[in-house]
Amino acid sequence: MIQTEKKLKLADCGSTWTKILDVESDSLEIITTRELVGRDLPPFDIATGHSAKKRCAKFKNELLALAEGALSLVDEEDFSIVDVGGRDIKFIRFKGRKVKKIDWNLACGATTGATIELLTDYYGIDPHLLKPVDTWINVTCGVFGMERVLESVSKGESPEKSVAEFIHGLVRNVFDFTQRPSEIYLSGGFCCNRCFIDSMARYSKVIPLGRTVLIEGLRGETAQLK
Amino acid sequence: MENLKSKKLIGYYGFPRPSVLGPVRERFGYNLELVDLDVALEAPDSRIVQNTTCRIIANIIDNAIEYSKRLVAVVADVGEGKCDRGRYAALILREMGFNVIESRFPPEEFENRPLVYSTGRGSLADRIDSIMETVIRPYDSVVSARNCKPTHGFWGVPPSDFRILDIFPDTTHIYGWTRCVEAGRPGDLQLEYFVDEDVPTVFFTQSFCAKQDMAHYLAEKHDGLFVDCHRRVNDSILSKVEAFIKLA
Repeated sequence: MIQTEKKLKLADCGSTWTKILDVESDSLEIITTRELVGRDLPPFDIATGHSAKKRCAKFKNELLALAEGALSLVDEEDFSIVDVGGRDIKFIRFKGRKVKKIDWNLACGATTGATIELLTDYYGIDPHLLKPVDTWINVTCGVFGMERVLESVSKGESPEKSVAEFIHGLVRNVFDFTQRPSEIYLSGGFCCNRCFIDSMARYSKVIPLGRTVLIEGLRGETAQLK
Repeated sequence: MENLKSKKLIGYYGFPRPSVLGPVRERFGYNLELVDLDVALEAPDSRIVQNTTCRIIANIIDNAIEYSKRLVAVVADVGEGKCDRGRYAALILREMGFNVIESRFPPEEFENRPLVYSTGRGSLADRIDSIMETVIRPYDSVVSARNCKPTHGFWGVPPSDFRILDIFPDTTHIYGWTRCVEAGRPGDLQLEYFVDEDVPTVFFTQSFCAKQDMAHYLAEKHDGLFVDCHRRVNDSILSKVEAFIKLA
């Protein structure tokens, strides 16, 4: 099952985006999971994520990968980290570098990241240009939130403001889901979304760690493969 | 399953009072098999209730309709030990022509049965099955206890899809409504609320069940894991529980 060229490849195959790390060259490739599904790739050596199970020699649970990745990147004794993905939200609070609380928001209350991509694509909005807004809409889940955005636009509000309100609503969900911390590390694609970061900063100090925290959590497994 | 399709049955749901269930059995015959309508028996979806109805309540309605020609009676727990939807299900079934016999379990009839399975060691699914069996066949005091120190906890009702239980270690203690059933105290809110401090516990409910409020509250209070599930469990739910069991 290990790739023939012996180049270790680690991957975080999320529901919407896949991050692939070539360990030797330390090069990172990010592709849509839609593209991953269409490619005939050899299986990754170690992988995590919703779409990884049938595409790897060794699978690691996403929350375990997040925990180990967070510990490898953060030196603090007590801290919280949240990974906001396309389909779900994963949260871990550490105390004395031991897991004190974990949670994983699935199904109802989730699918919000993917919804933002659908909405920005639909309205032709560059998500990087969105400005944070004071108001928000209730994002009970991606579907309910999308209905609110459609309603808002149909009443004359601009798509940009409506989507920014959706993002603000998502931020409030994340803040509550993570037990309202004063400071939190952020993992995942929203590290690249200024509107999300600035909206989150209204409630909590945010420290973005980027999109590869889960992949960092896979590195510990590589020693066993070499 | 074959038996259920060919013989007369007495259906029940929740935890009917022994003083109600007993006379029903006496009236219709002790040879009639009892069937727990709460359980997923692969009955077709009747669409009587909404998609966003707790799966256990949907099971009750769907199972009753599937076995309607066999059911001589439905003994319905409509008291505090069940829920409002259990009460409404009784009304709906009566409207549909079922012979519904209501049961409310008063605190005066609460028992203090020993918690053999809730605090014992062994397959979680088997122990929950055994507890639910005590609703119709209370075990006697000679059942040997194999108590163990809990490494994990499972709080809640028996899930509609038992596959989630397979992840738990044998040293998982049982809390919540299922423990209340084993104690013979359905509707005892204090017992349902109880968990052992510092035991990492999964607080499980069916989605769209009122117990979600209590499960979520307790999970926050005890740093446990709140899990809800509608219909069949998926890989994500299993992964979430698996991670909690390993990390907590």
